Parts: sequence; C-alpha cells; structure tokens
Amino acid sequence: MTLESVARKDFRDAIRSRWLLGLTLFFTLLIGGSAALFFGYLLRGDGANSESLFGFTSTLQQLFSVFGFSYTGMIGFILALIALVTAHGALIDERESGTLKLLLSQPNSRRDVVFGKLLGRSLVVSLSMLAGFVAAFVVMAVTGTQILFTPYLGQVALSGLLATSFVSIGIWLSASSDSQRQAFFGTIGIYFIFSVLWAAVSTGVPRLLNWALQELPGLDTLTTVQIFQMRLFIKYLNPLRAYETLSVQLYDSAIAARLFKTGLSERLALEPVFAESLPFYFSGEFIFLILLGWIVIPPMLGYWTFKRVDL
Amino acid sequence: MAAIELNGVTKRFEDDGGVLDTLVPSSNTDAVTAVDDLSFSVEAGEVFGFLGPNGAGKSTTINMLLDFVRPTSGSIRVLGHDAQAESVAVRRRTGVLPEGYDVYDRLTGREHVEFAIESKEAGDDPDELLSRVGLDADAADRRAGGYSKGMKQRLALAMALAGSPDLLILDEPSSGLDPAGAREMRDIVREEADRGATVFFSSHVLGQVEAVCDRVGILREGELIAEDSIEGLRDRAEAEAILRLDVDGDADLDAVRAVEGVSSVESRDGKLVVGCTDDAKARVVVTIESDGATVADFETESASLEDIFLAHTEAEKQEVPA
Repeated sequence: MTLESVARKDFRDAIRSRWLLGLTLFFTLLIGGSAALFFGYLLRGDGANSESLFGFTSTLQQLFSVFGFSYTGMIGFILALIALVTAHGALIDERESGTLKLLLSQPNSRRDVVFGKLLGRSLVVSLSMLAGFVAAFVVMAVTGTQILFTPYLGQVALSGLLATSFVSIGIWLSASSDSQRQAFFGTIGIYFIFSVLWAAVSTGVPRLLNWALQELPGLDTLTTVQIFQMRLFIKYLNPLRAYETLSVQLYDSAIAARLFKTGLSERLALEPVFAESLPFYFSGEFIFLILLGWIVIPPMLGYWTFKRVDL
Repeated sequence: MAAIELNGVTKRFEDDGGVLDTLVPSSNTDAVTAVDDLSFSVEAGEVFGFLGPNGAGKSTTINMLLDFVRPTSGSIRVLGHDAQAESVAVRRRTGVLPEGYDVYDRLTGREHVEFAIESKEAGDDPDELLSRVGLDADAADRRAGGYSKGMKQRLALAMALAGSPDLLILDEPSSGLDPAGAREMRDIVREEADRGATVFFSSHVLGQVEAVCDRVGILREGELIAEDSIEGLRDRAEAEAILRLDVDGDADLDAVRAVEGVSSVESRDGKLVVGCTDDAKARVVVTIESDGATVADFETESASLEDIFLAHTEAEKQEVPA
C-alpha cells in the first residue's frame, strides 16, 4: 500500500516537473525519428523490414559494426545514461532537502521508500522509452515497412529491462551516498565504467590471472580458449553488453549472438568450442539472469545501507 | 500506560571522515554525545513540553522516537512499540511535525494532505484539515514550493493531524509562525489533548509551553535536568530569590556557587546576580564577606518561571569575569 503511494507520488512529481514529457519527446524523436529517417528516406523502396534498423545483420548494420557500433547498442547506451540521470537523485535529493522527513513522518518504511522510488522512476524511463518504440512502430506501419513482430516486441521488452537495471543502479547510488555530489560523481563513474572501461576490465582480468599463474610455480597457465571464454564472460556481466547480445539472439542463434562483435582470433578459437556445446553460462537464459540480477541486487544493496543511516 | 518511554538512551554521533576513515581507521575520531543516558516517560493523554536551549539534544531525541536516528544505546518504546523495530506501527498512530523538513515544491497543499491521509489510511477531508490550520482553499490549490515558512509549518501540522493520531510529536511547532499563528498552534494542541491524544512537543521558548503543558522536561546538553509540572516549576520559582549585590573587591565566585541553595551566579551590569533559595540569601552574603570583599548594597526579588528556565539551561555556561 505505502510502497505504491510512494511510487505514485514520485511518478506524479515526474509529470509535474515535465521530466516525463521531456523524456517522452526525446525518445520519440530519437527512435521514431531515426525510423523515419531510415525507412522514410534512406532505405525507401529497398524492401527494408524492421530488422534493417533494429537488427544486427542487415547491410546497414554490417556497415555500422565495422565501427564497433550497432543501432540497438547505441539505444542501450543512451537508455542507460537517461536511467542513471533519472534515478541518481531519487533518495539523496529528498534527504538533502528534508522532504524525506515528511515522507518518513508518515507510516512508510524505508523499504517502501527505496522500492517505491525504484518503481516510480522505472515507470518514468520505461514509459517514455515505450513512446519512442511506438512512434517507430507507427513510422514503419505508415511507410509500409514489414515489421518482424516477435523480435521487435522482444527488443522493446529487453530495452525496458535494461532501463530498469540502470534505474536500479542509480537508486543504489542514491541510497548509499551521503551527498548529492557523491551521488553525481558516483553516477558519472559507474557510467564511465560500463560504457568505456569495461572492455579494459574484461581484457585485463584474464591477462592478470594468467600472469599470476605464470609466476606461481607448478601451475598451468590458461589456454587461449580459456582466456577468451573468461573475457567473454566478463564482457556479458555488463548489463549493456548483456542487453546487446540478447537483442542479437532475437534475430540469430545463441552462438552468433554470443560471438557478436568479437575479434577474428577470438571467434576462430571459440566458434568450434561453442558449436560442440555452448556452456550454460553463455546460454541466453543465463545472460538474461545477469540482466535480471542488475535489476534485483543493486536496490537491495542500496536499501541495506539506507536502512542504517541517520537522517 | 506510558505513551513514550525512554530508558537510558544515549546517542553519540561519530564524526567519520567517510571512505578515508574506513580505509585508514584512526583513533582520533571526534564523537559528539548529543543525548546522554536519557530516561523519562510521557503518560497517555498528557501534554508534555520538551524544553531546552538550541543544541540541547531535543531534536535528536525526537528523531530517535521516529527512527530517523538510531540510539547508540538504551531502549525506546512509543505507544507500546519498539521505536526502532516497529517504527511503522508507531508512525501509523502518530502525527509528526518534524524539524528540518521541507515540502514537495511541485505538489499542492491539498496533495500533501491527501498523501498523508492516504498513507495513514484515514478518511479525513483534506480541506477540513487545511482550514483547521488556517490554510484556505486558495492556498490549498497552490504548489507548496511558493509557501512562506509559516504556511509550510501549517501544512506540515495539517499532515500531522491526518487520521486523528493517538500521539502527536511536534518539533518546535511554533517556529516560523507569528504570535497569532503560535497561539492558533497552542489552541490546536489543546483541542487534540481534549480529544484524548497525547502531545509531545519541543520548544526553546518557555512561554509557548507554559500555557498548554501538563508537564515539562528540561533538557540541557543531552541530559534531563528537570521534570515537573508547570505548578511544580512555579512553586520552585516562588521559593527562588534573585539577589543583586554591589560588591567592593573580588568575590570568590566558586565559593558562592558552592553555597547550599545557590543555583546560578552571574555578573550583570557590574552587579553580581545570584539565584538562590530564600533561606540561602544570608549565607551568600556571609560567604562573600568572609572572603575579604564587602557587600555595599543589595536588593532582592522573587524569580519568574523564565528565570528558572534560564537558570536551569544556562547555569553552566555562565562565566563571571572576576
């Protein structure tokens, strides 16, 4: 009951501040606008379907991927940033201004506040994002573009989950920060790690481990395949990468989805191994669990800190 | 039954340096004791005034009743519930006007009160609550971000009154209000008490407490130094005398302080002002003169309640230049 009333009040505040409106316009222009650009102009009459833009294997996308870039991946990066911006002040702003005391003067528990905020802000980001996908849908319908319903709906759902996972991460930062400054810089740091630094982490950790094994007597070093597997696994711990590879799987096989955007040597080493049997921790279900983990665990960590704090 | 019960409650705020302190634990962390071994209880149906100067620990105590702040040691029960473990149950039956709060800028006054009613699962009429605290329909429709300090205070009170709570906890309810507003506030406290609610409110101004309280507790530097009815305090005031002495030479102030029955010693306008019981007056004069100084002149008056409050709350801060 009170969790919902916290969420409802938070959502209403997002309407009042025009934040919801602004995001809705933004996503409508971004997703609907790019659909209009491609299907109404660039790919007009090419027999294009929804996969041409939202998929990963069209000629257009092949061109993109040369630059290490996919349209859906880009949407993910933007969604993550918007979700963090939306969520990172959820609790600390109220703590600093003192409205939290008004909120907690009522019979709301701190748990209601943390998870109510999570619900409210997730709705704000997801609904505005949904407006963008609806706009793109309308554009495709109007331009007579064939729409592959199942993968398209799957992508919308995955995008909603990605947005929610970054709202969760933002709530965690907000709940465990002692000041708005801390939450702000924490947000920048987290985004930087996931968007830029992660490749270095996934490459570095196996190398470091291998180096350690080399130095220690009596231990075998890792095989190339092991190193590549470890690197790939770490890569998909990143919600942005989990989202991307799951999106690829909507159009392609699990193996192709896992090896999406990997280097040539990596692909040559892993493909035969995966073809024999794809390890469970590279299955779509497992990657999906990782994405869900990013939704469930961060707010729990946030709550764990937040419930102890003196206001 | 006691509505509020504190048992040996202590709150120390550790001044931690954040992450650095966690990494490098240092021994010289500054701890401030805001509340020190505090025990008292407030009976159901009582109006209890919680008095003390700023910084005495009143708000910390109130914040602990509401689980905004956790005690370092000791136990607190409010309305029969543990204030920490069962805080939601406490707040379901408690109306709160907290200290250091702010309103939601973008929500209207009415929406604030509706939120309180909804949270309390009560059936009150928001407009009725708002008009009770003196906010008209016009103000109710405006966003609270544009409210004055006094209007915000009224709004927060209206939220506290939602659901006819068994207990009202009001932290400095009159702050930000003009004298007329402070009077309305007292009337509401009285009405709520007549309805049967227990009222616990804090103030640093005695005048606000005097008119409505059944009992007061005076807090200084985190310790309860007096707990009495207003009549009891007044009796004490009547038994208390204020001596104003013209002294030639240096009086030994510590010796004066040590005299039985003396509660305060300070120097004001070149005179020595001593608060003491009636029968201690002669002893004070004797003590000063035994030290070589002479009392050239003195006058005496009886103390007011205000003097008692000041004597209680400021006694240790008074340093007299000799």
